[in-house]
Amino acid sequence: MNLQIKKDFLFCCLILMAAATTIAQDKYFTKSGSIHFLSKGAIEIIQADHRSVTCVLDPKTGAIQFAVLMKGFEFKKALMQEHFNEDYVESDKYPKAEFRGQIVNNSDIAYTKDGVYTAHVKGKLTLHGETKDVETNGKITVKGGKLLASSDFTILMSDYNIAIPKLVKENMSNTVTITVNCTLEPLK
Amino acid sequence: MTKKRIIIGGIVLIIMMTAVYGWYQYNRTVQGLAEVRADYSVNATALINEFVSNEDAANKKYLNKILSVKGMIKNIESAQGTIVLGDTADMNSVRCVLDSSAHPLTGALHRGAVITIKGAITGFNKDETGLLGSDVQLNRCVIAN
Repeated sequence: MNLQIKKDFLFCCLILMAAATTIAQDKYFTKSGSIHFLSKGAIEIIQADHRSVTCVLDPKTGAIQFAVLMKGFEFKKALMQEHFNEDYVESDKYPKAEFRGQIVNNSDIAYTKDGVYTAHVKGKLTLHGETKDVETNGKITVKGGKLLASSDFTILMSDYNIAIPKLVKENMSNTVTITVNCTLEPLK
Repeated sequence: MTKKRIIIGGIVLIIMMTAVYGWYQYNRTVQGLAEVRADYSVNATALINEFVSNEDAANKKYLNKILSVKGMIKNIESAQGTIVLGDTADMNSVRCVLDSSAHPLTGALHRGAVITIKGAITGFNKDETGLLGSDVQLNRCVIAN
């Protein structure tokens, strides 16, 4: 009798463990994705890189999320980095940017089969305290159990209430091109 | 006559100095941290706990500062030049992105070793999914020992 209970208990444990593994394997993530942004004005080219982008993707639903700390953008020119943080994105006040979206054509992507797929992504980008709809095409490369996700899209600084000082308005562009590259691994 | 010359000369000198200073400021690159003194020296686990228990207070205290963080290497992500510090039993970590101009990761670094890393803190990325763990992030990091 006692043995039977033990067996049942073990069996339950195994089922729970199996369930936990399948749930865990459901999602893909990275904490070291990269973002490059570029704004090309008449005189001034502004660009920076970030190497600690967090991304989570749920292949079942196609839900995709990005989070990035604004202070983590690295510029070559120190003054540019200071102005970016202090005057433009006000990173003390708005430390984080986020994107929450959906892969619209999620059923077209075979996450378990190696190949290159086009992902149509729709979602909301929150930056500088403003949230705006963003829509773009990205590429998902499935290779050896990992996902390489990449995309680029443009945003307008004015949409996010980021003001360019009048003095430099002529030299700078309101358009920013954002390039995202992430290698997502299964969540263990 | 000479007074006028001195004034004009002075003005020209000031303009030139301003221009040189402006040019220097414009081209100034982000400072490497190897020779910079850290504002705070903390343990990785203590730093994580401060952010977990009160994010606002920790942000006020640490943001825009240079930190020297001592902790156990949890993971090394050499492709991205990132060293992850913290307790392996805890999902939360301190993620240190090495300065791209700094020396490449040496073989002396391995999981489980205790090291001190100096870097600029960029904030706390709180995990809302409950799956990934939250991180204190540092960039421009150099290995201090």
